[in-house]
Amino acid sequence: MEFINPDVVDLSRFQFALTALYHFMFVPLTLGLTFMLAAMETVYVVTGRQIYRDMAQFWGKLFGINFAIGVATGITMEFEFGTNWSMYSHFFGDMFGTPLAIEGLMAFFMESTFVGLMFFGWDRLSKQAHLAITYLVALGSNLSALWILIANAGMNMPEGAHFDPETMRMQFESFVDLVFNPDAQAKFVHTSVAGYVSAAMFVMGISAFYLLRGQHRQFAARSFRMAALFGIISTVAVITLGDVLGRLDYEKQPTKIAAIEGLWHTSNPPFEPWIVAALPDDARQENHYEIGVPLVLTPLITHTFNQPITGMHELEDEAGPRIRSGIDAVAALRRYGVTHSSMDLAQFTAHEQDMGYGLLATRHAPGQDVTAIPADQIDDVVRATQPDILPNVFVTFWSFRLMVFLSLWFFALFAISAYLSLKRRLERSRLLLKLCMWSIPLPILATEFGWITAEAGRQPWTVFGWLPTFLSASSHGVSYMVFSLIGFVLLYSVFIAAELYLMFKFARLGPEHDSMEPHAPAAPGASAFDMRPMAS
Amino acid sequence: MTKLLRLAGLAVVLVVSLLFAVFVGDQGPWYFAWVIGTVMIILISGAGAIMLDAQSGVSADGEI
Ligand code: HEM
Repeated sequence: MEFINPDVVDLSRFQFALTALYHFMFVPLTLGLTFMLAAMETVYVVTGRQIYRDMAQFWGKLFGINFAIGVATGITMEFEFGTNWSMYSHFFGDMFGTPLAIEGLMAFFMESTFVGLMFFGWDRLSKQAHLAITYLVALGSNLSALWILIANAGMNMPEGAHFDPETMRMQFESFVDLVFNPDAQAKFVHTSVAGYVSAAMFVMGISAFYLLRGQHRQFAARSFRMAALFGIISTVAVITLGDVLGRLDYEKQPTKIAAIEGLWHTSNPPFEPWIVAALPDDARQENHYEIGVPLVLTPLITHTFNQPITGMHELEDEAGPRIRSGIDAVAALRRYGVTHSSMDLAQFTAHEQDMGYGLLATRHAPGQDVTAIPADQIDDVVRATQPDILPNVFVTFWSFRLMVFLSLWFFALFAISAYLSLKRRLERSRLLLKLCMWSIPLPILATEFGWITAEAGRQPWTVFGWLPTFLSASSHGVSYMVFSLIGFVLLYSVFIAAELYLMFKFARLGPEHDSMEPHAPAAPGASAFDMRPMAS
Repeated sequence: MTKLLRLAGLAVVLVVSLLFAVFVGDQGPWYFAWVIGTVMIILISGAGAIMLDAQSGVSADGEI
């Protein structure tokens, strides 16, 4: 029986990618704004100046809108694992379920409780107690993200688990290994700090809007300066931490790093260029129109001048014996399921590390059954499976580059903004203020590209090296998938529209309390889209 | 008495922080870097705002 329906797998992937990308439009602001609020409130508590309380309250209101809508978009994904990815959930549920459950508890008990206290506690708690609550909200939201990233790191670089032939799934081995997985650490810091960059750009951009209009000037100047400084350090951090992720990919996910760098052949250290732009051609397995900078790739990825980076063709060659050994593993496992003999178990154990590669061959086996491959066809099946170990190079290559190019733009913008703010020459620099305003969505875009790099680059696996994506999906009908996909698109588009409407509305209205400009003119009919009054 | 309790409280915080630094610094260097880095980012951005307050000539209609 053919049990893999590629259309259902593709639709499941598309649905998950869509819901995850929608959800992650909200997450970075939550991660970063909470710490920005904490910074503003800290200044309020230290200096006692009312304006910092106004700032914390106003930006807190925008945070609240984002938080409320963002939470709703995240819930569906937790269910998707069960509905659309039931094979994956069976195989990896022990490992994945633990951090996900902790995240649920953390989000609902810690984050939500403290968010309530933060909003309604201004007049009921002492200054210090309220500040402590704001820090707990920031910590809670980032710790929620931590558990998701621990779960995601487990899929990319499984640690703290082993495959159990009795239960046919990955069994939990060590909680400490799971939590301290180096990939989890690197992913967490990179993603959390990407949130800081997003929040800093958001606050800086809206403050620039007020400065351009000459409204709430003192309020905007302080918000702008705090955001510019917050942003420049965070951008430097996100770049450094991105380097850590790249190095980890080099060590543990060679297919991903080769795809990220568009490296079809093993590099020639130290001369190998870093490809700035190219058109990777997945079908012909080569790049067109390459533009590169010589001598950069080797130190960038390996942090040495002499270590080679294995290219995709060579990785395909290396995968050949693993696919063959994996086919033996799957066959031994199948026999063991019937016989429970120690001989079959021993045979399986000998090939266990390659099991995933055997499963990868399923698609090319007669009747999608690797145990049914006739001896004289094994070579053909192995050859047909070899290119399957690679992710989509065009998507991985370009999503990574767009993320990196955007980070250079953020660096320049935050650096110039911080400088001009420190020199108090902001209002003269109207072009910069406009650039700040129009750059508000860019860090969120960079975040989306980051996720595309990480997840498209992880293919063809859901659990890297162990479980192929095409074997992870549930066996739904195509119509069911199309129907639910349309439902999600409509629902999430409503969420986005609501978020944008509320954000524009409240940002345009400005702070309710502005102690330094109590009679600040409201902005009748002013709109962030309406640039006319700003033109200098 | 209150002073003593406060001192004892701070001492406990110090010991916990040190244990945290030793354990996490070893097992989870990037988690540790995140804690330190976040505190630093908050302090620097806060200092920037306080500096703006202190910068001479900042009045409601001075240049920003
Ligand atoms: C030079 C700058 C950067 C480098 C070298 C870099 C590097 C990376 C790498 C290698 C990945 C893939 C990680 C994996 O294998 O799973 C990644 C993912 C990601 N990046 Fe970046 N990045 C940079 C800038 C940024 C910026 C500016 C943002 C957003 C503001 C960002 C947000 C993300 C996110 C959200 C992910 C997915 C989560 C993860 O895997 O950690 N990155 N980045």
